[in-house]
Amino acid sequence: MIDDRQEELASLHAFDLLEGAEREGFVAELSASPELRGRVAELRAVAAGLAHSAPDSEPPAELRARVLASASARRGAAPVALPPARTPRVPSWVPWLMAACLAAAALWSRREAARSSAEVAALNAQERVAETALDQTRDQLSEARRQLSESSRLVADLSAKLRDEGDLAHFKIATLASMLGNSPEALAVAVWDPSRQQGVLTVSKLPALASEKDYQLWVIDKQYPNPVNAGVFVVDPVTGEAHIVFKADKHVDSIAKFAVSLERKGGVPKAEGPIVLLSP
Amino acid sequence: MSFALPASQLPAAWTGWEASPVARGFPARMMPTDEIGSPEARARAYAALLGRMANGDRDALAELYDSLSRPLYATARHILNDSAEAQDVVHDVFLSLWENASAFDMRRGAAFSWAVTLTRNRAIDRLRTRANRARLLGDSMPEDLGYGSESGGIGAGERAEMGDRAVAVRSAIAELPAEQQRALELAFFSGLTQKEIAEKLREPIGTIKARIRRGLIKLRDTLATRL
Repeated sequence: MIDDRQEELASLHAFDLLEGAEREGFVAELSASPELRGRVAELRAVAAGLAHSAPDSEPPAELRARVLASASARRGAAPVALPPARTPRVPSWVPWLMAACLAAAALWSRREAARSSAEVAALNAQERVAETALDQTRDQLSEARRQLSESSRLVADLSAKLRDEGDLAHFKIATLASMLGNSPEALAVAVWDPSRQQGVLTVSKLPALASEKDYQLWVIDKQYPNPVNAGVFVVDPVTGEAHIVFKADKHVDSIAKFAVSLERKGGVPKAEGPIVLLSP
Repeated sequence: MSFALPASQLPAAWTGWEASPVARGFPARMMPTDEIGSPEARARAYAALLGRMANGDRDALAELYDSLSRPLYATARHILNDSAEAQDVVHDVFLSLWENASAFDMRRGAAFSWAVTLTRNRAIDRLRTRANRARLLGDSMPEDLGYGSESGGIGAGERAEMGDRAVAVRSAIAELPAEQQRALELAFFSGLTQKEIAEKLREPIGTIKARIRRGLIKLRDTLATRL
């Protein structure tokens, strides 16, 4: 029994649109299911029928000749049937001298003919070899282009993946837990990109503040004796949420912790108020 | 079972599966292609030609060329939008069929599907090597590929039997919802991945997958006795 998911994958496989793990998984399913293989073949035949939907276009007449010539060169042309050679008959009344002359002339002619035939045969053979080599080179070039295309795509995909993973590996990501007894569910996530010296802070369920107060974010880097100011923010009074992009006042090499304190409006150069959020 | 063809030249479905509803093996003598009516008879006729080609019969290659070159060339040209490159693709495909005819097994699928898949894969390979891939992604609209244009008409000189199939396919496609037509067209002719098709049509990838599936199944049901 083929389910909807398998039928969808079979449809995509009919167009060779499956990639990576999705393709590998489906091929494994195919190997275990003759029914599924039959469905793929059926859908592939339908997909092939789409060739008839291309705008009608007649190939040029010379293409037919080119194909047939190349085919002959690949396997060698069929032998051409030659009429049987006639045996020269010399009339008995011809003088011996004439016979000798004719014999000599015939011998010379046959030698020349043989030499010409050999040259023609050699040239034909060379032509066939050259055509075969040309065709093989074309095939190799086509295959090389295909492989280059595929490799380029793989390299691009891999590069992008490595870049993403590399970026993520350098990011400092921390969760800040609530230090407030009255709002234990308050939470924040800070992400710091050291290469850009910039971060993003997302806060939720933090209590709204009185107008004379601000929340202030601090970055704790061990090279500095005091936390480094990273700006002030307020939260949405209804949802308690905030989403800010921040920068530190000083260059940060390595972040040990993030902290959010409650400070007077506009912030302070050195933390004074209580810590409300802190990363481990 | 194994094919002599390199794996890169084989459709995925040809690398080990048995699937054809038609009889196996080559009949001793084929019927002329212009007398072929049913899909099964046509498949047997093409298989017979390949059988003769496997024995070095160049006339069989000429017959197969006369039967298939038009849709194959049209497909390659539609994908590549370049006559010279399309000719190279068709040339290479027929040589591949000539050299690997002995590997053909109709239990694994029809010869026409094989030839179309070879053509499409080679054309798409060439397409992907072009430096203008980014431009292709950014500039061309789905209509560029033909269904929505007048260029899809059948030429007056097209042979009746192949023309009937073309008419049947185009009629079946025309019955599909427009979004399924576009998804199938891009899936077959564009060389784009699922993700790229989704981006091009500005739809979620799941929607694209579903459209391809529904469109293909509907075509199968409509064309069951025609292809």
